[in-house]
Amino acid sequence: MKASSFKRLKAALLCSLVAVFGYAVTGTVESAQAPKKSGDQSAAAAPAPRKEAPSSTKIDPKDPSSVIYLDTSGKPAGIGDPSKPASTAFKAGMGWHPQALSAAGLPKDKYGLVDWAKLVRQNIINPKGSIDPDATDDEPLKMDVVITAKGDFVSDVIYPHEMHTYWLKCEVCHPSIFVPAKGANDMTMVGIVQGQWCGRCHGKVAFPLTDCNKCHSSPKKAAK
Amino acid sequence: MKRCLSIFILIVAVPAAAGAASIGDIRLDSKAESMKKAGVGPVIYPHALHEKLYKCNDCHPKIFKDKHGANNLTMKANMEGNFCGAANCHNSPKAFPLFNCVKCHTNVGVKK
Repeated sequence: MKASSFKRLKAALLCSLVAVFGYAVTGTVESAQAPKKSGDQSAAAAPAPRKEAPSSTKIDPKDPSSVIYLDTSGKPAGIGDPSKPASTAFKAGMGWHPQALSAAGLPKDKYGLVDWAKLVRQNIINPKGSIDPDATDDEPLKMDVVITAKGDFVSDVIYPHEMHTYWLKCEVCHPSIFVPAKGANDMTMVGIVQGQWCGRCHGKVAFPLTDCNKCHSSPKKAAK
Repeated sequence: MKRCLSIFILIVAVPAAAGAASIGDIRLDSKAESMKKAGVGPVIYPHALHEKLYKCNDCHPKIFKDKHGANNLTMKANMEGNFCGAANCHNSPKAFPLFNCVKCHTNVGVKK
């Protein structure tokens, strides 16, 4: 009985000794590496924030604060070091980033697309009128245009000038894309899908054509 | 007796066999007039292609009644999540979207 308890004490002592020794060794190794790293950074003249260095090595994809370091397929991408080659995400023009957008908490429609108009209406974003500080920003034009759908069943389109002139100047669309006269533009959905009229922007820089009802919102009276 | 049997086969067995066999393309043109106005032709629905991808009861009779002329298909109904535009079909990322007119409608862009 006494002998076994002594044995146990001996084992515990040995274990703790190993643990303390191990900690001391790894501690010294880490402290030796740390100044070397910072020296490299100063040599490369890259004032990368210190916080980003450790996070680049261990990214938790479930942590919303780290999604910005992941590319569109969820793999680690940018590591915040300009001296390193550009990541896949960077090469892709830092494009569509569903995870980062979802982490940002932007309002979305039922198709999972960011609702930019809602962002404006709820004052979540407030972009400047122009990059030129002297440029004047015109007030949005409050004018809805009803565009009759050609078929007998599909709802008519209510086109809001207001949301469009919030972002754009009149000259962006008139008269090159749309002739500013009623009935002067023979629009077809086929043409729009192929990149004419609304399709010049929608599906490229503006929300895509996925949600039909977003534009085709005014039901026809004769519709059965 | 023999004749009776042959009639029985004709009435029961032949349609059953036809039902089991692949249904080819179905032409959907009940709204041809409206389609003409919109500048698209009738839809040629590839039933055989859908047979390969899905089971009969994925669509019948919940989404489509399996009877000719029983489904009042309109593009508006599709947009609202019925028929082709059902939640797991052409109104979702699982299949091509509804705005891809040319995939279903023939003679797209032909003006009359």
